[in-house]
Amino acid sequence: MTFENNFINHSKDYIFSANETLANQREQSFRKILKNNYDKKNNESLKNITISDLSKFDYFYKYENKAPKVSVLDSINYEIRVVNGMCQNFEDDNIEIRNLQNYDFNSFLDQDNNNSDDIIIDLNKIFLNSGIFFNIKNDTKLNIRLIHDTSDNFTVFQNNFINFKKNCEINFEDHFNLSHNTINNINYNTKVEECAVVKHNIFQDFSSSNKLYLTSNTVCKKNSSYNQNTYNFSKGFVRNFHNISLNGEFAKASLKGCFFLKDENICTNKTNIVHNAEHCISDQTYKGILNHNSKANYYSNTFVSENAQKTEGYQLSKGILLTDHCSFFSKPELRIFADDVKCSHGSTIGPVDETALYYLRSRGINKNEAMKMIISSFIEEDLQNLDHQARIIISNNLTNFLNSLSDD
Amino acid sequence: MIFLNINNLNVSIEGKKILNDFNIQINEGEVHAIMGPNGCGKSTLANVLAGNEDYEINSGKVIFKDEDLLDLNIEERAQKGLFLAFQYPVEIPGVNITPFLQASINSKLKNEKKPEIDNISFAKLLKKNAEELGISIDMLKRSINTGFSGGEKKRYEILQMSILNPALSIFDETDSGLDVDALRVVTEGINRFKDSKKSFLIITHYQKLLDYIHPNYVHVMREGRIIKSGDISLAAEIEKSGYQNF
Ligand SMILES: Nc1ncnc2c1ncn2[C@@H]1O[C@H](COP(=O)(O)OP(=O)(O)OP(=O)(O)O)[C@@H](O)[C@H]1O
Ligand SMILES: [Mg+2]
Repeated sequence: MTFENNFINHSKDYIFSANETLANQREQSFRKILKNNYDKKNNESLKNITISDLSKFDYFYKYENKAPKVSVLDSINYEIRVVNGMCQNFEDDNIEIRNLQNYDFNSFLDQDNNNSDDIIIDLNKIFLNSGIFFNIKNDTKLNIRLIHDTSDNFTVFQNNFINFKKNCEINFEDHFNLSHNTINNINYNTKVEECAVVKHNIFQDFSSSNKLYLTSNTVCKKNSSYNQNTYNFSKGFVRNFHNISLNGEFAKASLKGCFFLKDENICTNKTNIVHNAEHCISDQTYKGILNHNSKANYYSNTFVSENAQKTEGYQLSKGILLTDHCSFFSKPELRIFADDVKCSHGSTIGPVDETALYYLRSRGINKNEAMKMIISSFIEEDLQNLDHQARIIISNNLTNFLNSLSDD
Repeated sequence: MIFLNINNLNVSIEGKKILNDFNIQINEGEVHAIMGPNGCGKSTLANVLAGNEDYEINSGKVIFKDEDLLDLNIEERAQKGLFLAFQYPVEIPGVNITPFLQASINSKLKNEKKPEIDNISFAKLLKKNAEELGISIDMLKRSINTGFSGGEKKRYEILQMSILNPALSIFDETDSGLDVDALRVVTEGINRFKDSKKSFLIITHYQKLLDYIHPNYVHVMREGRIIKSGDISLAAEIEKSGYQNF
């Protein structure tokens, strides 16, 4: 279906469709896409994808009666099932969860928007059909597993708000259980309040007919810490764009990504960290292993504003290219306006280390096994802090990926 | 059985000829030493035998245990009992020493159609051999050669040899970088390991190592070939007046 037909036929299906302000904004974004009015040259959201690819899809969405569940497994373990963007409304002493309602309209418009030339965010706004509020209360200690279930052919355009309130300590996990031919354009607006400690693990391992565009905007307050780890084993397209603002002193953020690509798959990553306060630390590492004709890119930005003295900011990208036909484009950028800072960036991307391979083989390890050892060692350090269940997920995916190397 | 026979081997790299009609025969249980000036091709010889794919074999034949060695790939040669202690052991961060070495020995056992060694027996064997070589248990928890001192790397090579139990061990300057005590520990390790079935090819610049190990033959190598063979007195001669007389 054409983009225009999607927009016209479904305009009553979207959230806030009765609201005039949003209707106008949607209209504007719609025109912008129609006119192809994007700066394509420096536009990370359009790297390796075309506007026509993004705008041509069959919009399909319906509200279902089947209520998804929030399961309290025990006093600290919660499992939240989100079905086609919708969730069960739920509240207890620890957490409040509810679907976006019309009265949330203002917070929707209020959200920080530093994605002005991002077509994915424009599409999210135009077709918005779901969204969830998570309010994690002060001092709570929880493990939260969020499972995104998307049924065949659904196009989910979701905008979520998460507030991690003061002093909470949360392990938050996103899992994507996508069926076939789904589009998932998901935007998180996250607040990490004073002294909150958040570990956010994101597992992406779905089949090739699905697409995931994941964007997050996170604001970290004083003494908070936000630790994000993304593991992408998907055969389908994934975009991970993650923005962080360190707005309070002594806040810490770490963004790590590992991706494993094969065939013709593409993965596009962008991180953007803004240091707005003193004594904050940021750390970004993206690592990829690429096979066949796969492609990845990683744009990483660290911005240190002039009042963010004593900043520490680190960026690193590493890649192993298993064929001559795959590519990993990495572009780190540091913009520093304060004078007392420690910042660094580095990048090592290339084929498997032949001397290491030779060494292992010279001890009788066959080439395939040696290759597996080297690749496993490449991500081993990123798995250290995972809990048991997460490690199992990763190691199963890793085994599958490594076994597929021997098929060639 | 022909144990090792290298016949008129010619090898080049990037068009540059390095081994020149190289010949040597090593029988079971023999210890041979090769000495020669820098750049004469000693490491090249060692790496060609180990199967390094960077070199071009222009002509010649290598028989190892009655089989054409050049037909085998790197791991097959190791599984058949060839071991090279590298001049510059590679650091491989993230690959842990212990499981790596267990995988190595198991691939060899598997190739010999013998049952694999289980974790507990392996841990015992490793601990025993490491102690004999003065390698601390802590070191066995680390990644291959990562952050090891020069001497530690060499000791770890010998530890691997003692575990893998090869028929032919090639040492490429294993003595370089070792302090006096370490040299003694390492040579004791080698001597303990020696028996009538095992053969050694020892590349060195110094007589000292050979004094401990007692080679049956010493060869002088220049410009890619052996130009003189004799006994340990050759090493003394080289130590005294260098290579200009050869
Ligand atoms: N990868 C390579 N590319 C080009 N030339 C090489 C390569 N490897 C070795 N050579 C050359 O081959 C020659 C023999 O080198 P080799 O390392 O075998 O010498 P060596 O006898 O072991 O010396 P040393 O005593 O210094 O260890 C040298 O001239 C060296 O520069
Ligand atoms: Mg050498």
